[in-house]
Amino acid sequence: MNYLKRKKINISSKLLSNTSKTMILLILLICGIGLITLYSASLHVNLSFFQKVIGKQVIWMMLGSIVALLLFFVQKKILYEQAYTFYWIGLVLIILPYFFGSSSTGTSRWLSFSGINFQPSELMKIIIVIAVAKYLANSELHSTNFRVFIVPVIITLIPTAIILKQPDLGTSMILIMAVFPMLFWAGTRLFHIFIFIAPVLSIITAFNFYTFFLWVVVLILVLYFSQEKIVLIILLFLLNLSLGFTTPIMWNNLHTYQQNRILTLLDVESDPQGAGYQVIQSQVAIGSGGLMGKGIGRGTQTHLKFLPEQHTDFIFSVVGEEGGFIAVLIVLSLYFLLILLCFQTAYKIKDKFSSLVIVGLTSVILFHIVINVAMTVGLMPVTGLPLPFLSYGGSFILTCFIIVGLILNLSIEKSRY
Amino acid sequence: MIKSNNTVTPGRKNSMQIIVFLLFLVLILKLYNIQIVQHSRYVGIADANRIRVLPLEAQRGIIYDRNGEIIAENKFQYNINVIPFEFNSSANNYKVLSNIIGISEETIKKRIRNNYRGRFVPAKILEDVDFEILTKIEEHKLDLPGVLYTLEPLRSFPEGVNISHVIGYLREISKKRIENSNDFRYYQGDLIGWKGIERQYEKILRGKKGFEYIQVNALGQEVKNFHKNKVTPPIPGKDLYLTIDLGLQKYAEELLEEKQGVVIIMNPDNGQVLAMVSKPDYSPNLFSGIIAKEDWNKLRNDPAKPLYNRITQGLYPPGSIFKMLASITALEHNVVDKEQKFYCPGYYRLGRRTFRCWKKPGHGYVDMQKSIVQSCNVYYFNLIRKMDIDLWASTVELFGFGSTTGIDLPNEKSGTLPNRNFLNKKYGVKKWTEGNKLNQVIGQGDVLVSPIQLAKYISGLSTRGKMVQPHLGLRYKENKENDFIYFSPEMDSIKSISEDTWGFIKESMEKVVYAPHGTAHAAKVKGMKVYGKTGTAENPHGETHAWFIGWSENDSLKVSGICLVEHGGHGGSAAAPIIGKLFKYCRDNISY
Repeated sequence: MNYLKRKKINISSKLLSNTSKTMILLILLICGIGLITLYSASLHVNLSFFQKVIGKQVIWMMLGSIVALLLFFVQKKILYEQAYTFYWIGLVLIILPYFFGSSSTGTSRWLSFSGINFQPSELMKIIIVIAVAKYLANSELHSTNFRVFIVPVIITLIPTAIILKQPDLGTSMILIMAVFPMLFWAGTRLFHIFIFIAPVLSIITAFNFYTFFLWVVVLILVLYFSQEKIVLIILLFLLNLSLGFTTPIMWNNLHTYQQNRILTLLDVESDPQGAGYQVIQSQVAIGSGGLMGKGIGRGTQTHLKFLPEQHTDFIFSVVGEEGGFIAVLIVLSLYFLLILLCFQTAYKIKDKFSSLVIVGLTSVILFHIVINVAMTVGLMPVTGLPLPFLSYGGSFILTCFIIVGLILNLSIEKSRY
Repeated sequence: MIKSNNTVTPGRKNSMQIIVFLLFLVLILKLYNIQIVQHSRYVGIADANRIRVLPLEAQRGIIYDRNGEIIAENKFQYNINVIPFEFNSSANNYKVLSNIIGISEETIKKRIRNNYRGRFVPAKILEDVDFEILTKIEEHKLDLPGVLYTLEPLRSFPEGVNISHVIGYLREISKKRIENSNDFRYYQGDLIGWKGIERQYEKILRGKKGFEYIQVNALGQEVKNFHKNKVTPPIPGKDLYLTIDLGLQKYAEELLEEKQGVVIIMNPDNGQVLAMVSKPDYSPNLFSGIIAKEDWNKLRNDPAKPLYNRITQGLYPPGSIFKMLASITALEHNVVDKEQKFYCPGYYRLGRRTFRCWKKPGHGYVDMQKSIVQSCNVYYFNLIRKMDIDLWASTVELFGFGSTTGIDLPNEKSGTLPNRNFLNKKYGVKKWTEGNKLNQVIGQGDVLVSPIQLAKYISGLSTRGKMVQPHLGLRYKENKENDFIYFSPEMDSIKSISEDTWGFIKESMEKVVYAPHGTAHAAKVKGMKVYGKTGTAENPHGETHAWFIGWSENDSLKVSGICLVEHGGHGGSAAAPIIGKLFKYCRDNISY
């Protein structure tokens, strides 16, 4: 109670910084565009407003705002001190669906509470950031120490592995990807990040001779200039090289069904209608939109239902089809400004924990945007990640608003010191 | 409550922001590429997605005979098609459809595969369905995405007459043909004139397909209110009138019965074919749509070759009907005069070989006219010995042998022109002997001609050298206002033969029919003068082929005719009566 009172005084004197106001404005604009898009998408549906997707989305957004407002008043201290508690609770929550979840689609992501479906892995995106931030904010640690690198990675890998098994490639990717900007921000040695990413690149590049050759050249250069112990360098080099050489051999030795199983795992949301149908229809929607778009409610791909998942994963394609390149440019610019503002805020904050949480949460938003848009234009395989503030979906909208609430909360804290 | 101070360096912050910028830049560049650079391509795909093009079949032109009697018209049948992309969306579709149309799911699958032309193009799976099935399909429309029925025009033919080798037939167009045709828009599954008139006048008879553009959603359901649907109506084919007289044609078919053979009745003055029969033939109704496989195989494997048009493609030794050519040559080049007689003992010796006359005891002394009337071989053996082979062959060529007649039927054969060149090529220089000449002059040996060539030959004899191009096409309707375009076949004439010679030939051929020893008494028709010549051609495969060629005229009418009865025996008894009866029919029913 004590904390809350003090904060109220603070808010009344200087409610929000200009940066925060701009942030809120940007988010409102994006939400507005999202609602217009959903309005268009449900234009030809004969249901009452609140039965339509747009009506539900409005309700979720209002709910989200309330949650964000509540979080705005939560003391940072609680977040910091209970970070690991949240982490354990989060772990339990993501394991629960394996036992009690509704797995009608063959995946175990959802928990049902009296008819309301809830996806605990969504919360994990936030919890991981807070837990890793707490570990990295420990002043006794020297940031260049290898421990500072490896512990957060392990903290992240455990839930990532569980979620990957659900299977939910998209969320796992978000978890692991959000940690690296935090490590980078916290001052971890680049070399440590490099040796962690190197094996992944070795495997991916191994399928093509030229890319692998190029990668080996980069590997040699980095190792040469790393000034590490010669034993470690040789060890790392040999490890990556042998990984690269054995991967194609192992892959070819797998049975086709095993290969397919892996491919399916990597491409969980892949469509039943045959090779890349969703992505092709999405590209067609966006491409046929042209510069100015077809106009709201006039997108043929959208309204004739050629575009799949148009309320959720592929909502960006609706924007592209009906609003054209201009609308797409506006949306991406708004996102870009929002991300930049968040990083700017994180940079200015004096407290390391707050700064790291903002960077982590911003990265979560950033990678959602990049992966989703890359997916809709065919740059990445379909992973089923929604677009923040635009896509329809209860759990995800709540997650986004929780992130907003936390970022605003933590960014205001600095004015007290 | 600060535990530790924010230690981030400006460098790291800036590089983070640069990375973010680069990520967004990649996305925007890709979007620029899709939306601006490749915009039109994607518009095309989006339209192809939503716009279903339904072909509207054009009616094929109707074929009439010279009097306006229908020879081939159109009827309609309903077919069931499926659009593979939509239909394959659920395995249940197969079950539902299979129950309605009573065809196993496997067969449906197979038919879709066989008729596949693309994910969004309807593939035919069932033909000629009745109304009951259509009603059921209509009822289950919502459970059966991608199933549609189409109205297909078919050919239909009158009862009682086959006329199959004239009309030809339609068959499904081959994939190769689709790729090679530029003039008309053919689609797989379309019927195209494959033989006969249907093929020859394909461009006239075939109309132009119309198209209906329907907007559909991803489930293949029609969406009307979104954008307006468009229709391009089909243009029907043009009606074609043939020179055929259907009554005469029918009678000719009846007269030939189940024999193998040929009848052609023609107007010798202009080449209009009044009747044209090649037996055995087949019912054209087998080909009204796409022919059933069993029927097709049966026709193909029949040893009597009913699909084979003997008129234009059959090559036969003409036998004695060829003898006039030697007579004409002899008269025109003064080899002998017509009073010159040769003695016929029933055979002719050349070295060690013996060439026989058909009349074993022999004809005694024979002059030129008697040689034609009684068809004496020995006379012509003597005659050809006095001639150079090329001199004789030049007359043969003059009457059009060795080249096609130009009749408006596809795949006409040209036969042989057995001159020196030909024989040198076939046997080698100096490897052939006088014996070859002896055989040729009586229409045997290397002489092979088609019946339509003989029709041109007899017309030339009857008109004193008018060499008309036999033809079947009379006129076609250019537009709705009953404006017709008439075909104008080529005309040629032989000018080098003297009136005396023509007169002699006519007189001789008249005697073939009327003189006491003539061979073609059976061709006589009351009220008309008949001129003719019989032939009985040796045939290594069995019984002789019976030939009759001739013409008949009175003040108002002139018709020529030829008849071949394969393995029929004597021309005078097997072929001449048929032509006689047909001339009689012409006398009573035909006027030009």
